[in-house]
Amino acid sequence: MPRLLSSALALRRDPRILKIPPYLSLLCILVGAVWLFLLPLNEYSRRTYISENALLPGQVHTYFGGSDQNVLRAYKQEVNSLVGKSNVEINDKLESIVKGLGLKTARQNFTYSAAGRTFEGENLYAILQAPRGDATEAIVLVAAWENVKHELNKNGVPLVLTLARYFKRWSLWSKDIIILLSPDSIAGPQAWVDAYHDAHDSSRVASLPIKSGALQGAIAIDYVQEHRFKSVHIVYDGVNGQLPNLDLINSVVNIAGGQMGMGVALQEMWNHNDKYPDRLRTMLRGMLKQGLGLASGPHSSFIPYHVDAVTLQPFGEGWQDEMAMGRVVEGTFRSLNNLLEHLHQSFFFYLLMHRERFVSIGTYLPSAMLVAANFTIMAIFLWMKSGQPEVPAASTPESSDKDAPTPTAERDLFLPLAVVALSGSLSVIPLYVFNHVPESALTPLFYLFLVINTLLPISISLTTTKLFSPTLQQYHLVKSFSLLLLGMFLSSLATLNFSLAMLIGLLSAPLSFVKPYSSPVSRIVGYVLLNLTSPPAVLLASAAIWGLNVGDILREAAVAWHVTGTTSAVVVWCVWWPAWLAGSVCVLGQPAGQEGKVKRA
Amino acid sequence: MDGGKVTVGRTAALYAGAAVLRLAIFTLLPDLPDLLTGRVEISTPVTSFKRLQEGLFLYNHNVSPYDGGVYHQAPLFLPLFSLLPNALSYPIFTYLLYIAIDLLSAGALWRIADSGEAGSSALFTSPRRERRWNGFVIAAIFLFNPFTIATCLGRSTSVFTTCAILHAIAKAVSGAPFSAMVALSFASYLSMYPLLLLPPLVLLCFDRQRPERANKSAVSFATTHVPVVLGVLGLLFGMSYLITGSWEFLSSTYGVQLTLSDLTPNVGLWWYFFIEMFDSFRSFFLAVFWLHLSCYVGGLSVRIRRQPLVVLTLLLGIFAIFKPYPSISDTSLFLAMVPLYRHVFPLMRYSFVIAAVIMYASFLGPAFYYLWIYAGSGNANFFYAITLVWGLGQSLLVCDLMFAVLRDEWELERPEMAGKEIRQI
Repeated sequence: MPRLLSSALALRRDPRILKIPPYLSLLCILVGAVWLFLLPLNEYSRRTYISENALLPGQVHTYFGGSDQNVLRAYKQEVNSLVGKSNVEINDKLESIVKGLGLKTARQNFTYSAAGRTFEGENLYAILQAPRGDATEAIVLVAAWENVKHELNKNGVPLVLTLARYFKRWSLWSKDIIILLSPDSIAGPQAWVDAYHDAHDSSRVASLPIKSGALQGAIAIDYVQEHRFKSVHIVYDGVNGQLPNLDLINSVVNIAGGQMGMGVALQEMWNHNDKYPDRLRTMLRGMLKQGLGLASGPHSSFIPYHVDAVTLQPFGEGWQDEMAMGRVVEGTFRSLNNLLEHLHQSFFFYLLMHRERFVSIGTYLPSAMLVAANFTIMAIFLWMKSGQPEVPAASTPESSDKDAPTPTAERDLFLPLAVVALSGSLSVIPLYVFNHVPESALTPLFYLFLVINTLLPISISLTTTKLFSPTLQQYHLVKSFSLLLLGMFLSSLATLNFSLAMLIGLLSAPLSFVKPYSSPVSRIVGYVLLNLTSPPAVLLASAAIWGLNVGDILREAAVAWHVTGTTSAVVVWCVWWPAWLAGSVCVLGQPAGQEGKVKRA
Repeated sequence: MDGGKVTVGRTAALYAGAAVLRLAIFTLLPDLPDLLTGRVEISTPVTSFKRLQEGLFLYNHNVSPYDGGVYHQAPLFLPLFSLLPNALSYPIFTYLLYIAIDLLSAGALWRIADSGEAGSSALFTSPRRERRWNGFVIAAIFLFNPFTIATCLGRSTSVFTTCAILHAIAKAVSGAPFSAMVALSFASYLSMYPLLLLPPLVLLCFDRQRPERANKSAVSFATTHVPVVLGVLGLLFGMSYLITGSWEFLSSTYGVQLTLSDLTPNVGLWWYFFIEMFDSFRSFFLAVFWLHLSCYVGGLSVRIRRQPLVVLTLLLGIFAIFKPYPSISDTSLFLAMVPLYRHVFPLMRYSFVIAAVIMYASFLGPAFYYLWIYAGSGNANFFYAITLVWGLGQSLLVCDLMFAVLRDEWELERPEMAGKEIRQI
């Protein structure tokens, strides 16, 4: 072993070894990307299963139906008469209905301001006290007055009222049931769940007058369509890419798909044939949503508080009616009611590719880690390269002695550290500005930033060249440090939000391979190519691909930042952008030593 | 990075810069200190500022501070912090105290650096000693180390121990053995583990005696100075007894460290081990762990007899890894001492790997702790795994520094081997 080690150490000095790392890091990126595309295959994904035996999904007979249909029709009439009225008027009427059922009700005001807009409203909620419980645990049933697309939840609200009336008649609940009727799908539930856990800013969000026990789960109903439906769409993405426990999704799939015989869809894949392309598409859509980290429904705000939650959306033309939807909720609530402890058995990190197929973190994480590792490999490689003397060792007579190791060149760390620190500290500016200007200024500001972003590396490069005339070694060190930081952040991020780490990792992969070019033409070509992968350019390109307005995207990001606390912007501006900036400065670099060499030759 | 010429202005600018930076963070981000105080990486059961507040409350209400089993720190902190206005209503005084302690530590470190002990001790003079950083740079590295700043913001009471240890070493290198012993007694009184630094510190004092009243025999030198430590410790214990009115504090402060009765997670390697362990093995493994921690003292003092300051540095690194309740504060003390060995840095082989491992661990640690405690999607193994990596990074640094120092000594003995690859045969 020692012999092996020492020969490995001797090999370290071999010049051929230094040629390997760039290829190794390219290989890492390729393997990481290919890995992702292998996941939907049968060999790499698994069938879902219920881990928590207490859930027993679909094992109970559901009784919702019959005369409840008449009740629902009556409530629908009442709700229809409220369309177009103000939030307070709606709540007055709904509160009188819920009070009439014999539930405790309360209201909560909230005001958020973001991107120059104000989001305010009043939540109404009611607590059905469990006949067999002691108010230590609760399940939440949410219906927002309008969904994320601002369509009126015309069937959802009456259905929740009917279910509340129906649940009140049963004596088997061992957990309190909280009915939450919020004016919108994002800010309202967020304010409520923040206040429920006393994590709210009391200047903007009122505290809750009455509370129940620890929340064990939440189901939101987003039932817009008026006609009969075919399948249920389960929305499960939480804020910042967090996901509910897989057992909850499996239970709903089991109850809706198995017991009730309706279809189940995920990630807006309305028709899924369970073949490779559809699986891949479902997975990639899920990853994109996870990476963006935005709230996708009323359930999203619950997940950061470790309350497993999903939104159920009926869709399609079929023969299922509101009663069937109600039975799905009833069945799910009966399962949650069985829980003896918080959902913890099944996975929290997974990628779903079909309603009954998933991959867990152990299988997919290596792909993001490989992409992150490529940056670390390059950073180590550049560090070693920067330690080699610029003058070839062959010119010195002592080099004939084989035992003598090549001397390590002294590294000048100050300038590289300063450049990396500068690009890191500049990143606070776009982060602050894009989250704090009013909506109307966002689009012009973005184009202004695009221009500044193009000129900034040029000016930094010119200034440093003029003032410090950095050597090639210093450029290597700039790149080494920035890649080291990037690799470090991405590997940490991969454990928190896999998709975002993967996305940023692939987009910044070109940064591994940039270097100061000697000829002006290749320098310009390199800079232009690098500019195509800059954060604002990618934002512009994705806006064009999905046919969205850049201003709208930025507004949504700012709203998400202020209301739901989405942190994707931090990753984009404070991790990706500084690395890109340092990379661009390297591409534009004109190392001082290089010119001398050209002159000598 | 050579620091240039050190003038009074530059010294003042460095201290003022460090103080202003800390004060700015304290005042501009008022929530940050409390957030950091709650982090397990900074506050351990034996250094936490929150627990100090609890003890202080009980003390000021004439209840024994050790009732309730939350407070595990030395009793003399209580009168000190009772003198300050309430930390909740007037936090500025507490902030100023902690900033002052950091500056005092930096001052001691500066004196250690300027003594040149790291490059040339009484028995050994490194041929590379010319390449060193002066006190200004060393103090700046300490003051602007993120770990030091985080510890200061988290108001962990380990900064007092750090300050006492650095002063003990500074007094030792400036030929004041009596003061060094007193400072070490204070450090030992506050945290107990610095007592293990006594043998190398006595050697350092012996080597750096003033020539006019030098004691030629190491044995008689030790027999005159070790009693000083015992005397001062006895005095401090006596004062503690008078303050708290019972000897209960001994078991609540030192007993907790010896028996690891509080298993709050930290960046060390003990807590997980003792959570997993069956109770019947507990006392045996406590003995083994303590024996392991203390066995380095003798070995290193003998092997690197010619450079006692190296022994102290390496021991501080070893304590930062293996002591029962380590925090990043111990790492910051070790990292403060490492730059003194600038002259052997070229001999170190893994400096980049060490830097990368320590940085990776310091980012992944909080991420995994978050997954475990807040998101609920990870478990204790996540965080423990990363503390292992953290320990690995530091132990690599300890080993590499030791390798570099020994190689430096060896090249003086065998000049013909200078610059050659070493091989184990």
